[in-house]
Amino acid sequence: MSKYQSQIGRSLPRVDAADKVAGRTRYLTDIYLDRMVYAYPIYSTISFGTIVAIDPAPAAAVPGFITTLLALDIPGENQVGVIIDDQPLLAAETVRFKGDVIGVAVAETESAAHRAAQLVQVQYVEEQPYLSIDVSKTAQSKYIHSSNIACTHRVDRGDISQGFAAADRIIEADLVTPYQEHYYLEPQGCIVVPETDGRYTVYGSIQCIYYVQKAVARALGIPFSKVTVIQTPIGGAFGGKEDVPSELCARSALAARVVGRPVKMVYRRHDDAQLTSKRHPFQMHYKIGVTNDGRLLVAEINLVENAGAYATLSSVVSYRAAMQAMGPYVIPNIKVLSTAYYTNLPPAGAFRGFGSPQATFGHERVMDHIADQLGIDPVELRLKNVLRPGDMTLTGHQLKASVGIEATIKQAADAADWVNRRRKNTSNGRYRFGIGIAASHYGNCLGAAGWAMDGAAAKIQIRRDGSVTLAYGLSEMGQGANTVITQMAAEVLGIAPERIIVLDPSTDLVPDSGPGVASRNVVMTGNAIRNAASQIVPVLKSAAAEMLETDPDRIELRNDSAEDTDSGNAVNFNDLANHLFISNRPMDSLGWWHVPALKYDPETGVGEAYFTYSYSTHIALVKVDSLTGLVQVEKIWAAHDIGRAINPAGLEGQVEGGVAQGIGWALTEHFQTKNGSVITPNLSTYLVPTTADVSQVQTILVEDPEPLGPWGAKGIGEPAVIPTAAAIANAVSQAVGAPMDSLPMTPEIVLNALD
Amino acid sequence: MLYIEDIEYFDLVVIVNGCEVCRRVPTHQRLLDFLRDDLRLTGTKEVCGEGECGACTVILNGETVNSCLILAVEAHGSEIMTIEGLSHGQNLTDLQQAFIEKHSVQCGYCIPGMVLSAEQLEHEQAQPDREIIKQGLAGNICRCTGYHKIIDAVEQKGDR
Ligand code: FES
Ligand code: FES
Repeated sequence: MSKYQSQIGRSLPRVDAADKVAGRTRYLTDIYLDRMVYAYPIYSTISFGTIVAIDPAPAAAVPGFITTLLALDIPGENQVGVIIDDQPLLAAETVRFKGDVIGVAVAETESAAHRAAQLVQVQYVEEQPYLSIDVSKTAQSKYIHSSNIACTHRVDRGDISQGFAAADRIIEADLVTPYQEHYYLEPQGCIVVPETDGRYTVYGSIQCIYYVQKAVARALGIPFSKVTVIQTPIGGAFGGKEDVPSELCARSALAARVVGRPVKMVYRRHDDAQLTSKRHPFQMHYKIGVTNDGRLLVAEINLVENAGAYATLSSVVSYRAAMQAMGPYVIPNIKVLSTAYYTNLPPAGAFRGFGSPQATFGHERVMDHIADQLGIDPVELRLKNVLRPGDMTLTGHQLKASVGIEATIKQAADAADWVNRRRKNTSNGRYRFGIGIAASHYGNCLGAAGWAMDGAAAKIQIRRDGSVTLAYGLSEMGQGANTVITQMAAEVLGIAPERIIVLDPSTDLVPDSGPGVASRNVVMTGNAIRNAASQIVPVLKSAAAEMLETDPDRIELRNDSAEDTDSGNAVNFNDLANHLFISNRPMDSLGWWHVPALKYDPETGVGEAYFTYSYSTHIALVKVDSLTGLVQVEKIWAAHDIGRAINPAGLEGQVEGGVAQGIGWALTEHFQTKNGSVITPNLSTYLVPTTADVSQVQTILVEDPEPLGPWGAKGIGEPAVIPTAAAIANAVSQAVGAPMDSLPMTPEIVLNALD
Repeated sequence: MLYIEDIEYFDLVVIVNGCEVCRRVPTHQRLLDFLRDDLRLTGTKEVCGEGECGACTVILNGETVNSCLILAVEAHGSEIMTIEGLSHGQNLTDLQQAFIEKHSVQCGYCIPGMVLSAEQLEHEQAQPDREIIKQGLAGNICRCTGYHKIIDAVEQKGDR
C-alpha cells in the first residue's frame, strides 16, 4: 500500500498561474465579439438637484453614434439597490452625486460612445449638496432620500451605567478614518449578448453573478431563467466588484435589448474613481470604563459612517462594524450605535474588511490610550482582556472552539521581540522608531443579518476518461479560490489535482450561492465540496468494489486510484470513471452548505452575530523621519488564526497583499474630493503602494481548527488587511510621542504631531 | 482612446514578436491600442493610461516602455516584444516558471507587465539583489500581492 499524500496543507502552485504569466488569461477587457458595439454612461455633473431637461441631440453628430437610452427606456423596474431600494438604475428626476448615471450612449466604437455620452446636454435645478457627514446630520428638509440616515445598527448588552459607576477610570477618544479607493487594476466592465428566445448572456468582472442576474432581469422585466451570467477572470476586486457590476450589466442589457448586438461597457479610470463605491469613512467616539489593573468593564461606542449618495452595502458594513466594535475582548457592558448617513458624494460600499478595519482602528487605538493612561504594556493589556474559549464576545456569543486570538498575540509578540523593542530608546537623531500592536476578530461569512443567503453550492462532475470538472457559485477574484477548491476536491476524491478543471462561474451551473464576498469561499465552497463528496464517494466506492470484487467498506480513494485496504489491489481512477459510466451509475453530485441557524436578536444586537471568527494580530515596526514626517514601515509581523491552512503559500500571499493595502490606507492613499468631484482619480494623486512603500512581512499561521470549517479552515481574505493600519498608527504614536487618531498619516500630519 | 474628428492615417511597418506587420493606423493611435485592438495581443494591459502603472509594458528595441505613452507611428520600423512573444505558446521562461513556483501571481492583471520588466532587469543585471529588484519594479503597480512573492521569484531566478 503506497503512502497517502494529503492535498490539504500543501502549497500547490496556483492552477491559473501559467496562463497569467504568459498573458493568455482572457479578462473581460480582452474579449472582442463580432458586431459588438460600445456603451458608456451619461452621468450627472452636479452633486444634488433635479433634472429638468435632457437633450441627447448633440450626441448624434458623433460618427458611429447609434443611440442613447434614458430612464423611460427601461422596460422593467428602474431600481438597482442591492439591499435597500434607494438607487435608480438611471436617474430620472433627482441626481444625488457627481457621477449619478442618467443614461447610456451607444456607438460603434469605444471612443465614440464616450464622446457621445459627454455631448448629451442635461439641465438641472441645483440644491445645496451635503458634502460631509457633519453637514448631512444637520439637514432639516430637502433630504437626500426620505431621510439622510441610511441605516442604524446597535448592540445593547449588560448595563452601561452600572459599568461606568464601577469603573476606576473612564477613557475617551475620537477616531477618524478616510475613504479608500479599491484601485483594482482591471477596470469595471461587462459584455451583454442578446440571444435567441429573449435570453441574454452577461460576461463580466463580477464578484456576485447572482446579484447581476437579478439586476438584469429586474431592469428588463424578464425572468431570471432568461439571464445567464458568466464571470470572466477578475483582475482584482476587493469588494469593488460586489454590487457595482449590477449597474453596468443592467445598463448594458438595456442597450443590448434595443440594439440587438453584443454591447461592451468598460469604465475609464477617472470615471471608475468618480462613479463607483469606496471604503466608508468613519467617525468614531469611544468611551471605555476600566479597572486600575486594566480590565475592560464597559464601553459606549458611537460609530458614524459616510454612506455617500446611495446605501449600496452600507447596512452590512454598519452591522459588521457594530458587531465587532470592541474587538476580540471580554466586555460585560456595552452599548454600540452605528449609523450611516447619506451624503452627496460617491457611494461608499463593499471594501475588503467591510467596516472591520475602521472598527479595529477604533478599538485598537483606544486600547493603546488605555495602556498609556494606566501605564500597562499594550500586549499585556490585550492579553488581560482577550477572548478565550468559553468567553462571550461583545454581542454575547459564547465561544466554544477555534478561539486563537491569544495565540496570535503571543506568537506575534514573541516573533517581534516585543518586550525589548517596545522598551528600547525610540529616538536616533533624525529618525524615531516605534512598535505597535493591533488585534481583531472577523466574523466569518454573512452573519445573522445576511443569514438567509448564506448558503453555497459546488458541483463535482466526473468525466468518462477520469478527468473532473468543478463548478461553484462563488468566485475566484485573484485570491486563489480555484486552487484551494481544486485541492479540496482532489482530497475528497483521492485524485491528483491535475485531473481537475474549475469552470468559470456561471448562473447556469449551480444554484444561487449568494454573494462572492465576506471571505466566504473556503468555508462555504469547502463544505459544499464535502457535501458533494458525501454523495459521490459512496458511488465511487461501490463501483470500485464491484471491479475489485470486494466490499465497498474496504475501499479507500487515494493516490489517484481506489484501493482495497485489505488486499492492496487497486483500480486506476481512469478505469473507475469509465466503469461508473458503463455500469449506469451517477457521475456527478451537487453539494450544498448553509451556515447553521444563529441565535440573534436584531433589536438588541445580542447573540451569535456570526457562526465563527477568524482572529488576527499585526505588529508594526516603523521608522519616522522627523525632518520630513515620512513614515516607513520596516516590518509587519502578521499572526492569523485561520483554523487550518489549506494552501500555506497562498495564505501568505493573501496576508502580504492585505498588509500592503493596510499600509496604503494608513500612510499613502489620500483619497480626496472637492465640491463632490474626486480630485485623486489617478496614480499620481492617489498613491497606491509600490515596491518602495511595502515593508517586510512575516506571516505566522495559527491553526486552531474550527469544527464547522472544512478541514477546520476559516476565512483569510479580509482578516489579512484588518489590523494593519491600526498597528501602524499605534507604532507611529509611540515614535512621535503623540496619539495618531486619524488616517492617513501623511507626512504633513506626522510633522504636525511631532511639533 | 482619444476621440478625434479628422483622422489621418499612416502605413506602419513594425516587427512584433519576430513577425513583420504592415498596417494602416490612425496617426493618433497609441501603441497600446494598436497591439490590443488591431493585433489582438491582449496580454498587454491598460490600467492607468498615464504611464504610472507599468501594466502596458512592452519591449521596444530592447528597452521597456509604457505602450500607453507611445503612438503606434512612433514605433515605425521598430522591433516590439509583448508578453505573447516572450513565451511563444507553452515554453515559459525560467522567470515565468519562478513566478509560478513562488506563488507570485494573484489576479494576474499586473503580471504581464511585471514579467517583462523583470526580464529586462535580469537582462541588464545578472544577479540583482532585493534592493535592485525593488527599484527595477518600482514602476509596476500590483494591488494584490504586496510584491513580496514577485521579488522572491526574480531573486530566485537570478540565483540559478
Ligand atoms: S497603462 Fe500604461 S503605464 Fe499604466
Ligand atoms: S496580481 Fe493582481 S494586480 Fe498584481
